Amino acid sequence: MSLQNKLNRFKKELTHVGTENQTEKKVSKTSPVRQTDPSWTSFDAVEVEFDDQYCILREKTYDRNHKIGPYRAEDLYDSVSMWNERKQSHPLSSAGRRPEDLLFFDTETTGLGTGAGNTIFLLGVARIMENAIQVRQYFLPGPGHETALYHHFLTDVQDMGNLVTYNGKAFDWPQVKTRHTFVRDMVPKLPSFGHFDLLHASRRIWKKSYESLRLANVEQEILNIERKEDTPGYLAPMLYFEYLREKDPAILKGVFEHNELDVLTLIALYTHLSNVLIGQGQETLSAVEQYEVARWFEAVDDIEEAKQRYVQLKDSTLSFKAKKALARLYKKKKDLLQAEVMWKEVLGEREDPEAFIELSKIYEHAHKDFEQALHFAQKGYDTWKNTSRIIRKNDDKDRFSYCKRIERLEGKIS
Amino acid sequence: MRFRKDLNEILKVMNQDDTIAANIAHWKTLPEKAGKSVEIPEHVHPKIRHALEKRGINSLYTHQATAYEMARNKESFVAVTPTASGKTLCYNLPVLQEVAENENSRALYLFPTKALAQDQKSEMNEFIEEIGLDIKSYTYDGDTPSNIRQVIRKAGHVVMTNPDMLHSAILPHHTKWVSLFENLKYIVIDELHTYRGVFGSHVANVIRRLKRICTYYGSHPTFICTSATIANPKELAESLTGNQVRLIDNNGAPVGRKHFVFYNPPIVNKPLNIRRSATLESKKLASLFLENEVQTIVFARSRVRVEILLTYLQELIKRKIGNKSIRGYRGGYLPKQRRDIEQGLRSGEVMGVVSTNALELGVDIGQLQVCIMNGYPGTIASTWQQGGRAGRRQDESVVVLVASSSPLDQYIIQNPDYFFNRNPETARINPDNLLILVDHLKCAAYELPFKSDETFDGVEIDEIMYFLTEEGVLHQQGDRWYWMNDSFPAHNISLRSASQENVVIIDQTDVANVKVIGEMDRFSSMTLLHEEAIYLHQGIQYQVEKLDYEEKKAFIREVDVDYYTDANLAVSLKVLEEDKQKRYPRMDVAFGDVTVNAMATIFKKIKFGTHENIGSGPISLPEEELHTSATWISFPQDMVEGLSEQELEEGLVGISNVLRHVAPLFVMCDVSDLHVVPQVKASHSQLPTIFFYDRYPGGIGLSEYVYDHVTEILHEAEQVIKRCPCEKGCPSCVGNEMQDIDIKGLALRFLSEGRNDSKHVFTK
Repeated sequence: MSLQNKLNRFKKELTHVGTENQTEKKVSKTSPVRQTDPSWTSFDAVEVEFDDQYCILREKTYDRNHKIGPYRAEDLYDSVSMWNERKQSHPLSSAGRRPEDLLFFDTETTGLGTGAGNTIFLLGVARIMENAIQVRQYFLPGPGHETALYHHFLTDVQDMGNLVTYNGKAFDWPQVKTRHTFVRDMVPKLPSFGHFDLLHASRRIWKKSYESLRLANVEQEILNIERKEDTPGYLAPMLYFEYLREKDPAILKGVFEHNELDVLTLIALYTHLSNVLIGQGQETLSAVEQYEVARWFEAVDDIEEAKQRYVQLKDSTLSFKAKKALARLYKKKKDLLQAEVMWKEVLGEREDPEAFIELSKIYEHAHKDFEQALHFAQKGYDTWKNTSRIIRKNDDKDRFSYCKRIERLEGKIS
Repeated sequence: MRFRKDLNEILKVMNQDDTIAANIAHWKTLPEKAGKSVEIPEHVHPKIRHALEKRGINSLYTHQATAYEMARNKESFVAVTPTASGKTLCYNLPVLQEVAENENSRALYLFPTKALAQDQKSEMNEFIEEIGLDIKSYTYDGDTPSNIRQVIRKAGHVVMTNPDMLHSAILPHHTKWVSLFENLKYIVIDELHTYRGVFGSHVANVIRRLKRICTYYGSHPTFICTSATIANPKELAESLTGNQVRLIDNNGAPVGRKHFVFYNPPIVNKPLNIRRSATLESKKLASLFLENEVQTIVFARSRVRVEILLTYLQELIKRKIGNKSIRGYRGGYLPKQRRDIEQGLRSGEVMGVVSTNALELGVDIGQLQVCIMNGYPGTIASTWQQGGRAGRRQDESVVVLVASSSPLDQYIIQNPDYFFNRNPETARINPDNLLILVDHLKCAAYELPFKSDETFDGVEIDEIMYFLTEEGVLHQQGDRWYWMNDSFPAHNISLRSASQENVVIIDQTDVANVKVIGEMDRFSSMTLLHEEAIYLHQGIQYQVEKLDYEEKKAFIREVDVDYYTDANLAVSLKVLEEDKQKRYPRMDVAFGDVTVNAMATIFKKIKFGTHENIGSGPISLPEEELHTSATWISFPQDMVEGLSEQELEEGLVGISNVLRHVAPLFVMCDVSDLHVVPQVKASHSQLPTIFFYDRYPGGIGLSEYVYDHVTEILHEAEQVIKRCPCEKGCPSCVGNEMQDIDIKGLALRFLSEGRNDSKHVFTK
């Protein structure tokens, strides 16, 4: 049987690649013709060369008071100067930087995952200039032009110390590294990169409040941005494949716009996150979100800020949790006096084994009042026994430590 | 207090006890053999030499020395080494020496399973610690935590992995492994003989991809392979690696005394030539050793057999050996379960293990004294491998082969010389199987675009590139083909399973705690996991309540019944194209492409102990279709004139019964890889025909081998039937005796007359 016949016989098995629709069979076997396609210029794009390759560069500028959702681009200036006024470090802090240093970055690729065969075909960057926002998009007109793409991208954007992305840490940047490996001998080195990943920040604050934190959702739910006629991101690979066959830039118009809106949204999202963290935006947060913000400050060891947030929550629906968190903070800072007051406040809300035991410790070690200490220890044990627990794995260990404490205190008293 | 017998006393019992001694068909004692060794070469790094000496190694066995020299000269080789001959040093020594000399050097070790890699890592790391150099060796598999993956990629001198991981995790992400691929000096392929058939054909393509990536990063590694004894290690190594490979077979390791006992269960029904069940006899022999606390491994040929034997033995031994246990071991158990069992065998806590050939490989289970094979493992090579499980470390050991009543087993047991003198089998792969090749070309294109003048390690690929471009998987631009699809091709390609999709087995006995207890390939699931099937797992019986064939899930519940199930598969064949043919006076033999349609039809319930049929039921599963290659033998019409339809059918079925067992012996494949199907009237020729077809889509060269060696195979089949002592047919040759029909005579007539070897005269 000839190879051609066999290929056809096994067609079903051979072309099974696991996803998506089969594409139609028209193929152009010629290499792309170098000519300035008017449809590129019609959406502000030009072809730029490098050696015998080229890539498409699209540039757009907007006024600095361009509106993005509830914000204006220039609001970024306020955010950055707010961060600059603070001494404490924070993962989102742009202290020591100018607004112009931030580079809002997003890519479009031919697939998901970070394997060697997943190609980036569009690199989008937005940055704020003195009087404008500039959006630059570097587009790969065909797979054989990556040297030109990365040459131009890396020559233009030399400093990547301040990338702002959405999930760029796990996806966009590793993928840039992968593709760069293929052309590393012909193009500038990848600069060292620093990163504000707004997905991580959004997860910290909103994970408990929203089901999905995809950029499209955050944009809609939190920034109230409504996109009209948007091309959803998941269609981008299909449209790119279609473009490769048809060579009609109009096919990709939606993808370019989608990517552009994404990087612009990042500006607004960074502004908004800064605002809810250290600016006036706190009021827009629910108690649950406030509590998460406080926890985040605590996690990055900004204790003062965390304390302030917890204090604000003392009269909210989360007062019990906030008070416990505060008490623990005081304990951590060895401020036993404040801790004692706070644990008692916790008990003012409801009986709690942890609060009893902590008070028992304070009375035993700080006040040397063993009678009181024993009283709290016993209350703690009683409360613990009456609490229903889901995980019973540590029950024996816990029971043992309660009993031991009580035993020890009884010993000290007699 | 009970006295336990030691091994020698048990051997005496075997020779004296009438119920055992009378069934011993052959007892061969293989003498011990002294070792041959040479000095450790001068230039071996002093620290490595010191570490060797600390382990009591002051010289190298001859094969280790040859391996070291060849590896140093960058000559690829395959070393054929029996179990316990110090094969790991054949690769560890040159690799460590290379890294000691140049710390940038890297080596990649491939083991057929994850477990083997983990074993080797522990051994390697102990050795490295004794050497005291900063050499890093890691395993890289699905269990490797993501935080240390990056360290391994950048700084691992020796990376130990398996072909599946190389295929789906390393090669598609080669840009993260630049320092490995730029500096790769050695590729070690351990247990080379396991890379045969479909799996081997896949792995050969993975290695083509690996070499392509190495070339891209500028390295040209040397291949070091080790293999158990097979007929063609050099040929296999060369087709697997695509390189010239030299053979090392001057084994210098000492060998301990080994008793090889051929045991044929007694005949219980003389007229029908029916023997006592091999499983029951294996149970009897195994308990003889286990009761005396002699660590024993029992090999069984199928998963079901493993479970049946396990049930028997656990019951029998329950009170006799305290808390030491007997465990089962086979594919389909979860990895953690298996690790526990391996560990238990090494520590001695597990006294006995019943296994499929899963334990044939070099998984470290320490030193066992006795190996019992329930049925001939199917190949000479496997038999030696399984037997090697007993007495690995040079002590006296016993191997007992208990014959079943299958034709092949009876042939082997009655012809011990055949076993002891014949070359072991040939391992075959077909890397150019179109389906396999195209699958890997997709992966390769994903990894790196193809240039128009490029070959795939010598294979012309233009036509396939154009085909994949037409199908919208690749994009041609200039003189290159680029991957242009949003999928990750390696994820949809499994190296191990022909049907590529496994059925997950879900235990829902405890409604609150439904759990996955194993998996099985789709084709096997048609006959083993159909609804109402009794599925055995670790000796526990389960009934299949629902098989969701679409979603690939089988839901089972624990039961306690006294039967097991056995399913029938109905098969029809259509010849698509005849590629080769040859004529004999009374038969035609042809090779070509066929379509096979297989459908599970009914199942039988078979009672434990008596093995009687106590019920049956239908199986309703969709038909499976398979395009593959086949060889077929057709007999002329005049040869069957005068025979009734039933005579003709029984005759062909009889021949097929024998060929089903004899052909795999020649082809060195599992009985389930090469199917034999008789047809009274083949649809393409209307002639009586016997088909041999490859179980894998597109074929992997098994039936083609049958075509090339058809006369030898038919001759061997004829011998099997002739030597059988039965009168008109029995389960040990052509199958059950039929009233009024001399199946044996009919079968012999077709076999001899077909080849025009008309010494046999057919009488009705």
